[in-house]
Amino acid sequence: MEIMQVTGSLVCSQRVPGLEHWNLRVLRSTKGKFSVAVDPVGASPGNWVFTASGSAARFACGNPETHTDLTIGGIIDFWEPDG
Amino acid sequence: MLICQVVKPLVSTNRIPDFEHKHLQVVQDGSTQKVAVDAVGCIPGDWVICVGSSAAREAAGSKSYPSDLTIVGIIDHWDPDAGKASPLPAATPASQGGAA
Repeated sequence: MEIMQVTGSLVCSQRVPGLEHWNLRVLRSTKGKFSVAVDPVGASPGNWVFTASGSAARFACGNPETHTDLTIGGIIDFWEPDG
Repeated sequence: MLICQVVKPLVSTNRIPDFEHKHLQVVQDGSTQKVAVDAVGCIPGDWVICVGSSAAREAAGSKSYPSDLTIVGIIDHWDPDAGKASPLPAATPASQGGAA
């Protein structure tokens, strides 16, 4: 799992049925790379979260048929990034 | 499998139910930090081996556990500088000379 920070939400009305109605969040990694993740926990901008990737992401959102490769697994209680 | 060093435990109260109450550890893989499910019970400073992909899910407890990185073993003795000090034995000048 990777440690990432939530930077905002993503609105995406036109989507494949496999994505269902999941909330999408824009995340930034500690190295500055942006990615989009399914959010089953309800994270807010600024929250540090850990994410499951690959096939684990499909199990993390509760429905293995969901077409995701990145899902937020939980909000980290306390995290200070180095540097 | 990856060789990583355990940095510290990761506390996450608000997590998806599928992660259950398993311990999570922040591990150092080279210059990047990752989060791994702790299936063995390690402490900060330990050198551990981690598995990824679907092996991570089964190692963490079940085939539907949502882990993509699981700690599966604590290395008894590991010297992180041992491999860097000497070059690999395959790249010797003698073998290059024979080919030319």
